[in-house]
Amino acid sequence: MTPVSLRVAMGAALEDVPAVVIDRVLERAVRRADDGTGPPIDLILGETLFHERGRLAHADRARAGADREFYSGVRHAVSSARAACASELLRAVVTHYADEIHGHFDRRVYAVATRALPVGLTALLSGLSPRELLARRRIPNLEEHVVIDGEVDALRTLARRGTIILVPTHSSNLDSLVMGNSIFRLGLPPFSYGAGLNLFTNPLTGFFMSHLGAYTVDRHKTDPLYRETLKEYATVLLERAQHNLFFPGGTRSRSGAIESHVKKGLLGTGITATLHNLRAGRDGARIFVVPATCSYPLVLEAESLVSDYLEEAGRSRYVLPEDEFNRVQRWVDFLGGLLTLDLRIELVIGRPLDPFGNDVDLAGVSRDPRGRAVDAARYLRVDGAPTDDPARDAEYTRRLGARVVAAYRRDNVALPTNILAFAFLEILRRRAPRLDLYRLLRSLGPDTSVPLDEVVTEVKKIVHGLATLASRHEIRLSRQARDAGAVIPRALATFGTYHRATAIRREGDRLHVGDANLVFFYRNRLEGYGLGEPLIPQRSDA
Amino acid sequence: MSPVDRPVAVLGAGNWGTTLAHLVAKNGHRVMLWTRHPDQRDEINGRHTNARSVPDLALHPGVSAVTDLGEAIGPAELVVVAIPSQSFRAVSRIAGDVLQPDHLVVHVTKGLEVRTHRRMTEILAEETCAAQVGVLAGPNIAAEIAMGKPAGTVITSAFPRVIEVTRRALSSEQLMVFAGADVVGVELAGALKNVVAIAAGMATELDIGENAKALLVTRGLREISRVGVAMGAHPMTFAGLAGIGDLMVTCASSRSRNNRVGRALARGELLADILAALGMVAEGVYAAVSARELAAARRIEAPLLERVHRVLYEGLPVVRALEDLMRLPAGRDVGARWPGRSG
Repeated sequence: MTPVSLRVAMGAALEDVPAVVIDRVLERAVRRADDGTGPPIDLILGETLFHERGRLAHADRARAGADREFYSGVRHAVSSARAACASELLRAVVTHYADEIHGHFDRRVYAVATRALPVGLTALLSGLSPRELLARRRIPNLEEHVVIDGEVDALRTLARRGTIILVPTHSSNLDSLVMGNSIFRLGLPPFSYGAGLNLFTNPLTGFFMSHLGAYTVDRHKTDPLYRETLKEYATVLLERAQHNLFFPGGTRSRSGAIESHVKKGLLGTGITATLHNLRAGRDGARIFVVPATCSYPLVLEAESLVSDYLEEAGRSRYVLPEDEFNRVQRWVDFLGGLLTLDLRIELVIGRPLDPFGNDVDLAGVSRDPRGRAVDAARYLRVDGAPTDDPARDAEYTRRLGARVVAAYRRDNVALPTNILAFAFLEILRRRAPRLDLYRLLRSLGPDTSVPLDEVVTEVKKIVHGLATLASRHEIRLSRQARDAGAVIPRALATFGTYHRATAIRREGDRLHVGDANLVFFYRNRLEGYGLGEPLIPQRSDA
Repeated sequence: MSPVDRPVAVLGAGNWGTTLAHLVAKNGHRVMLWTRHPDQRDEINGRHTNARSVPDLALHPGVSAVTDLGEAIGPAELVVVAIPSQSFRAVSRIAGDVLQPDHLVVHVTKGLEVRTHRRMTEILAEETCAAQVGVLAGPNIAAEIAMGKPAGTVITSAFPRVIEVTRRALSSEQLMVFAGADVVGVELAGALKNVVAIAAGMATELDIGENAKALLVTRGLREISRVGVAMGAHPMTFAGLAGIGDLMVTCASSRSRNNRVGRALARGELLADILAALGMVAEGVYAAVSARELAAARRIEAPLLERVHRVLYEGLPVVRALEDLMRLPAGRDVGARWPGRSG
């Protein structure tokens, strides 16, 4: 563990980060405007006003009040200003963005909060609904239900040798708490989170997020200047050797499938920071990218997520304002389910990579596919000198993204709920081969049922297929799913503990559809492994 | 060492590798040409000829041959790989001992690895640390270029610097070097068109007529583009230099090795004898195996690719194969379906 005093010292070293970010973003914008490689400053401001006006039109009135006032001032100044003022206005906008991103970050509180974390989640829960929790004999503690596996030692070792970018899969808002808690349990030093704004505004998590080293990512903001400021912020943190965590999928998986595509923006910050480190003569400063895959037997927000996936229009929405994450009762039901059935959330730490997508050994040395040592800094050098080349770096990031996605697939843990849902929907799909996905799901109601024997046979087939894949390290098979006979009762019990309309229910010797959308959601985790016909379009980075 | 001073490495002293080395040297660059044969190295360095690969070419004195990969690759920035597809992995694996992340690696091999169906850039990614890679392809009969005749080619890479440095090394009044970004498309077009070229050779030998040959080649192009697009290629790549451009020259020219294989098969010669007489690799003979399997795996109807494979490996008589292809039901040509019909 890093001593508290050191953390406070690190905190002090980060105080000037927003100022550095603002200077860099402004310098770049002005330089590009001057040499004609970027838009003029007034055009950048116009674009900001356009994007922000669009966002504010749909934003919550109470929360957006200050922003409205700010942009009204900017608009007024732009329309009346002389050209000389434009760069001052740009500074004001970038400062506005940088302050929001950095706003919640307080190292001193962080030091106290991480120490409080062993009981943190329990405390969080006891705070949310005392009456509900007092009625139970035990207070559920999320920590006991998260199993951490994989390259834990490598992560610990490399966190001492360099700076880590931890990139988990994103299924649920619970991921942030699971990751935060796991980082603490593994004895790792503090990480910075790129956390969605909704985590700060959520009444249950807001307090903790504000004090867990999180900086704010507002996915509603589409202004390119905002994204540039955010990327610069993450880059400067890495240059200051601050471990970083963000979700490269960008948003929670709507379909329930594991990410087959990751966003390149923040993922590329490792390369930019490496380049800046080389230029500054910090040749020894290494950055490592570590994928992490989190598999849930139940997903807190499954119902909202899948209905959003199925509504074509919903695909562009990032935050579901009324989803389960914001409802206290749903949390209590969810955690109660975990406790009653002793369910396990499985977190697998993946093999560490360098920012260019190469494997990294325990000494922090990059390795080529044949295991030979690679001097990774040379990816950025031309004739020995570190050189800017955004197109080159974008391609390296694409390569890294493909390796991260491959790690997710490999470290995905097939759980009983996934297996039963997959087998069940395979049978139903075979019965109606001509129906497309939407018609298929609409055709399934409470009267749709399958004889238990048929499901047992299909489950055995899927478990056999998974075991073969697992022996080739292409997926992981949960211990609870190795006995095919135990999969169905385990999955039915799990579904039954939480969802309002259980996904699948048993009546006598038949299994009935409870909620077809949920069946679809849980089966999608096993999509793309060749276990059955694909049902959702794949985006591949390979 | 400034960029201009750094030599260009060319791996493989076959006819295309040697010709490229010559062109680069003519442009004022030093070239390190790697061969595994000491006698070939001595001939190139001593007499400035390479009789085995390009008999009539007087090599530019800027070309030095070496048998040590490190000596060729170490000082270079641009590394051109001109190794046949079935040896590509073995050479890449050894080259991986000396390749560094700042090397720019461009291959000129129009083939796929038979067992795995891997493209050459995929093999480079599996065997080396090189990431800045590209592929050079197009209608480039080496013998014509060695004679000084004009030609065009396309360098394709996701890395602008690979394109820039390759163009600087190769562009001349004789050779126009175009740029592209669809690496997958150019690699697949280059490899798969060799199978169509074998069919075109058969058609030429049996004299089924120019109309019929054009029909065969065009339907063949449709088959290979469908396979390519299913594997991630951009459809327009097949209409470019590496697609239709290369197909035209391979199907028409008697210099094309694959075309010659098709003609010899149509004369009833045995594949083993044909390849022995050729003395060089005909990539289409290997690509036919991959082409058929790739099409089948994607459920793409590919009657031409399938017939060529059967002629090569299952003893189907050439006459039967061409008769079959000429009697296929005529469905859609290209483009969208029209109402009330199916293709």
